Amino acid sequence: MAVNRRQFLTAAGGLAAVAGSGGLAACGGSGSGGGGGNADGSAELAFAWWGNEVRNANTTAAIDAYTAANPNVTISPQPGEWASYWDKLATQTAGNTAPDIIQMDMAYISEYGTRGALLDLEEYGVDVSKFAEGTVDSGRIEGKLYGVNAGINTPTILANPELYEEAGVDMPDDTTWTWEEYGAIAEELSAKLGSGSFGSDSIFNDVLLSAYLRQQGKELFTPEGLGFAVEDVIPWFELMKSFVDSGALPDAARISEGATKPLDQGDFVVGNSAMAQYWSNQVEAVNKSSGKTMAILRYPSTTGQATDRQAWYKASMLWSASARTRHPEAAVALISWWVNSPESADANLAERGIPANLEIRERITPELSEDQQAVATFIADIEPELGTTPIAPPPGGGELGDIMQRYQLDMLFGRTAPADAANGFYTEATSNLKV
Amino acid sequence: MTDLDTAALPATPARTEQPAPRSQQAVSSGGRIARSLLKHLMLILASIVMIYPLLWLLVSSFRPTEVIFRTPGLWLNELFVQNYSEGWFALGSPFHVYLFNSLVVTVGAVVGNLVSCSLAAYAFARLKFRLRTLWFAIMLVTIMLPIHVIVVPQYIIFNLLGWVNTIIPLVLPKFLATDAFFVFLMVQFIRGIPRELDEAARIDGCGHWQIFTRVMLPLMGPALATSAIFTIIWTWSDFFTPLIYLTDPTKYTVPLALRSFLDATSGSNWGAMFAMSIVTLVPMFLVFLFGQKFLIRGIATTGGK
Amino acid sequence: MSALFELTSLKGSRARTPEEKAARRKEAGRDNLAGYLFLLPWLVGLVVITIGPLIASLYLSFTDYSLIQAPEWTGLENYVRMLEDPRLHNALRVTFIYVVVGTPLQLVVALGIALLLNEGMKGLAFYRSIFYLPSLLGGSVAIALLWRQLFGTDGLVNQLLRLLGVDATIGWVSDPSYALWTIILLHVWTFGSPMVIFLAGLRQIPAMYYEAAAVDGATRWSRFIRITLPLLSPIIFFNLVLQVIGAFQSFTQAFVVSNGTGGPSDSTMFYTLYLYDRGFGNFEMGYAAAMAWLLVVIVGALTAVNFLLSRFWVFYDD
Repeated sequence: MAVNRRQFLTAAGGLAAVAGSGGLAACGGSGSGGGGGNADGSAELAFAWWGNEVRNANTTAAIDAYTAANPNVTISPQPGEWASYWDKLATQTAGNTAPDIIQMDMAYISEYGTRGALLDLEEYGVDVSKFAEGTVDSGRIEGKLYGVNAGINTPTILANPELYEEAGVDMPDDTTWTWEEYGAIAEELSAKLGSGSFGSDSIFNDVLLSAYLRQQGKELFTPEGLGFAVEDVIPWFELMKSFVDSGALPDAARISEGATKPLDQGDFVVGNSAMAQYWSNQVEAVNKSSGKTMAILRYPSTTGQATDRQAWYKASMLWSASARTRHPEAAVALISWWVNSPESADANLAERGIPANLEIRERITPELSEDQQAVATFIADIEPELGTTPIAPPPGGGELGDIMQRYQLDMLFGRTAPADAANGFYTEATSNLKV
Repeated sequence: MTDLDTAALPATPARTEQPAPRSQQAVSSGGRIARSLLKHLMLILASIVMIYPLLWLLVSSFRPTEVIFRTPGLWLNELFVQNYSEGWFALGSPFHVYLFNSLVVTVGAVVGNLVSCSLAAYAFARLKFRLRTLWFAIMLVTIMLPIHVIVVPQYIIFNLLGWVNTIIPLVLPKFLATDAFFVFLMVQFIRGIPRELDEAARIDGCGHWQIFTRVMLPLMGPALATSAIFTIIWTWSDFFTPLIYLTDPTKYTVPLALRSFLDATSGSNWGAMFAMSIVTLVPMFLVFLFGQKFLIRGIATTGGK
Repeated sequence: MSALFELTSLKGSRARTPEEKAARRKEAGRDNLAGYLFLLPWLVGLVVITIGPLIASLYLSFTDYSLIQAPEWTGLENYVRMLEDPRLHNALRVTFIYVVVGTPLQLVVALGIALLLNEGMKGLAFYRSIFYLPSLLGGSVAIALLWRQLFGTDGLVNQLLRLLGVDATIGWVSDPSYALWTIILLHVWTFGSPMVIFLAGLRQIPAMYYEAAAVDGATRWSRFIRITLPLLSPIIFFNLVLQVIGAFQSFTQAFVVSNGTGGPSDSTMFYTLYLYDRGFGNFEMGYAAAMAWLLVVIVGALTAVNFLLSRFWVFYDD
């Protein structure tokens, strides 16, 4: 099709409009509101989080408490749902309208942090003085504190006592079990529980890969990229294959099915499997959905000693602030209040995870549900077993678990050998990183 | 039309029976009943397959969240109506706020689409102007580009205009015929309308505007009804656009509100979500049930009879 | 695509002599003013809302754009990368199967049901609404969950198969060999939209043709072939073009059924799903934009072929 002058001008005009929009470049302030001058400390803050309606209610109550105590601050809440939250945040960031306060996740913090979208909270004096050891560093990237721990999380193995009893198997000693023993116990459970039930969900996710690697003196990520070599993950793929072959884990189709199920429909929660890996802040939801009280266990170790298992505290989520906020002081003040004040603690309790602030933890513990008290105890108990705090996944690292799962399924469906699967995983995980 | 006419009327009758206005009347009445029964049986069977998920959704909305996914069947032991009462008030605003927001957006979208798309379609289908083909091709390209790469630049434009967190980005584009799907749909319908009708009007001295309003629009009943129904349904269930543009929860539309019940990493309130899903589906079903009448009625005025 | 209208027009004869060409030019500009007035809202929309993002996405396809930082010009890098991206090639393959199998199947079902429902019978409105229901529900999260459950290893489908004596333990949505086919089934099942368009098209065929045919004693089949199909052909054409475009952009169903992963093992990783995953999931909007333009080229070519072929089977009355 020939292009005449008029068409060309139209096209040029459009391009000019885009270039002029400047949104593609970085300039301008946060779009949280029109509010300008803050000489009197007044500020309008946009506050975004994801969660279900319970969290929405808690968070709204805490916001109300804050604005009641600080009448010159107005807060516009932006609640959302996990999956779509990130689409919206990315679009807003591109349009220079990111919310001032952002509930952040470990999987994304370096994507935003290293690209300059987040505020260094320490520069504006965020207060983390009363935080438990190892809980602040989760949000630190290249020396800057881009996020403050909003609740402590740690990986656990949950076990269903009823199924253990039904199978006539004793609860394992989680301070001494190894990966192989885990497989043997799961195999025994599968055999004794009969068809339709099995000993364990797949535990071969990125969380426990991290644990497994740390026990070999490696890490999932270093600031330079992957913290391990192909040779380190080949045994991991082989171990998974052997667990599936022995019947400790379900077959490929069920593992594949399990990967897409929401928590409340998982095999473990509905009583089809006796063990599974969950984060500690999911225990209450698991118990609530299953109607049972699950046993909270440590994940296995290579040496058979819990003190060697290189446990860690992860931030269940973090509080970040937009680098382009017009009111950095006000935003950081709000974050400090959120993680340190009794008023905030009373509204939020441990809904986002056990608080990292030790005083706050002590204050709210009596108020917590039995499930959450059990979690708080577990988190305190494992303190001697903690290794170093893993760094946040670098940009492109958040998809590592998905990539691994794809190659694992290829292996389990008999399309590749374990070593090839491990190789494929390693190559793609490496090329996906942007460091 | 001439070649079609002869094609439609074979020179030698295919059958030797007495010609009847409707061939069904040529079949014996016993056979007719059997055939009708068979047809209904087939349709009912097909309907069950089609409707099963909705029935399951409906039944599940009366079950406590814990048992919903353990029972694929349609048996209901008790009516757990709390899903409805709790679901209505579980979010930041009562559910009718979201229903109202969706209603406003939907009404705006329907009016916008019907007006702007029919105008553009008339131009493309009936008027001869320079670069028509080029514009038409551009229009088709706009349908082909996936929304996910358009949404960010578009967001930037609407943000510069200061329209983020208003319903303008959801409604204004409809008044500017950006839903090329409907333009193309109406073009195809208009091109199926016998040209003699508007030629006759033109000879009577009607201008384009009069031909459009007095001849074309009345003839486009089915196309307009189809566009309206689709616009209503698609706007009502659209998630992505309101997600991006609306930040104030009191402005949320229904699909945004429904997602608030979900939390894949801890527990979702499925019962409430299903109950409110039913609440939002009922109006859509009614729109379709009654709206489709216009699909049929519109044609009564068409050239034939 | 420059001669779309001439190509699609039944009587589109080409001008040869200079005089004829001049006459055609004059003819082409006959309604210039009226044409652009009627087109005005669309043109404004194009300039203000559509063209900018269109060009922006083209520009971004030559950049590295994370959404968070300003785009950086990288020339043809994204396009070169597409040549050697195995996941992209897989996504193309998956999408082609889906389009080639799913689209005709869905259109045939939609047309068949529309014909059945077009005849005068009791309960018509009810059936029509029932058959449209899946399309109302198609993209909802609840239905995706139910779909996963129905086709799960212990789901209703396998239970029914076991009743029939088949030892069914297949994970229809979890086994990479079958997952795509269940999504195609889901696609066919939501045939409501083309059905409604067919119904509207059928309603626009003047009854006099059928009456005249009946007078001549034409059989049902010959009425269908000689009247219904030709007069419905513009609508069939519309559905074909739009369903092909739509199928290439298919997103929602695969997204909800696979939880956005395109799994198991990328077996349901549709093109647009992968594009979304790169753009929003992995902050590679530049690459996503390049993918989008490759899609435009592919779909545009197919659409052009569709338009070219349409002159042989689509009948317009103009």
